[in-house]
Order: sequence, then C-alpha cells, then structure tokens
Amino acid sequence: MMPQLVTVRVERPDGRPIRIWVPVLPVVLVFSPVVVLAVLAAAVACLVFGVSVVRALGTSWRVISALPGTRVDIEQSRTAVLVTIR
Amino acid sequence: MNEQRKDILDMLAEGKITAEEAEQLIAALERDQPPPASSLDARPKGKAKYLRVMVDALENDEPTRVNVRVPLQLLRAGVRLAALIPPQALGKATAELNKSGVPFDLTQLKPEQLEALVEHLDDMTVEVDQADARVRVFCE
Repeated sequence: MMPQLVTVRVERPDGRPIRIWVPVLPVVLVFSPVVVLAVLAAAVACLVFGVSVVRALGTSWRVISALPGTRVDIEQSRTAVLVTIR
Repeated sequence: MNEQRKDILDMLAEGKITAEEAEQLIAALERDQPPPASSLDARPKGKAKYLRVMVDALENDEPTRVNVRVPLQLLRAGVRLAALIPPQALGKATAELNKSGVPFDLTQLKPEQLEALVEHLDDMTVEVDQADARVRVFCE
C-alpha cells in the first residue's frame, strides 16, 4: 500500500515545535502533471540505458509501497527532527 | 545442511543404503538434535519487520541522538531496484571504488545474494560502544 501520511516534526532551539502533516494522495493528485512528466522521463531514461521499463516501474512502485513504517528521528542538543511515513 | 545428513544422502546416492534406511537415519538424527536454546532475546525467526539504527553520541559536548527505523520490505525492494542498474554503471562504480582503495567488485554481487543477506538480517545485532558514542544496529 502506498504511503498515506508523512509527518514532519521540527523542534527548534527556541523550544517551539513545528508539525507538518502531508497527506500523500492529495499532494500526488495536485502534482499529477509533474508526476506524469517524471514517469515519462524515467521511461525514456530506461530505454536509453537498456533497462526494462515495466520492471523499473514495478520495482519503483514496490519501493514506494514499502515506505510506510519508516521513521527517522534525529536530535542534537535542543534541535530535533522527526519524519514518519505511515 | 549438516555434515551427518550430507553423509546419509551420499550413502543413499552411492547405493550403500536404501531410501527407507536413509529416512530412518535422518529421523533418528532429527530426534538427537538439541532443542533450540531459549533466552529472553530469542524470538521466532522471520518475525522481524524493521531494521533499527540507534546512535547516541556526544558532539562538541552536546548530546546527539539518531534513531532510524526502516522496514525490511524497503530493503528488499531496494535490492530489486539495485538489480536494475546497468552493468556499465556497475563497472564504473567498481572502478571508482578501486580508485578509492576499496577493492570491491560490484559486478560480482548478484541480487539473489543481496536478498539472502536481507533475509538473514534479523539474526544480526551490531553494537559499538565507545566513550563518547554508542551505536546499535538490530532488527525488530
């Protein structure tokens, strides 16, 4: 299943945290023209380098589908960044 | 496959014993196997879903903490993606690695080997302890 929500939380030294929730599907829909162009460019690159377009697209989709559950949490001193993909 | 089981199969292949005798010997061998050691850390195989990397360090006298959780499924997908890299690119990367003093031939690395490596990652735990840093890599 493709990622549904990306959460970004940034804590700055002044102590005020910033939280951003990014709903993936609506964002992809908004940027769909760019996404289509990117897919086309990737397909052309695959053809140029002799890579199977179907295999490349399938594998890329597998990578995207495997993203939910990823969590990156970095803290240094009073600054912290947390990114979670659900 | 352990050595004794291989010996039994060799004897069967050479016709020294019959298939029934081989079956009986293998069954006897399995009965003699010690039960798996039970410990608090023991967990059923194949249950690990995530690779965790945890780093606790002191940088410029300030505590730094990194906690990364990556689904093993993502690693498997990454391995499949890496298998799509054209051989020419792998050759160039190998040449650059050699130039940097890393004698590693990427063209000899097969996707099946990488997949087997990811499959067995849940048995792996790496712990590095230093005065000012602690690194743990494990699967959960």
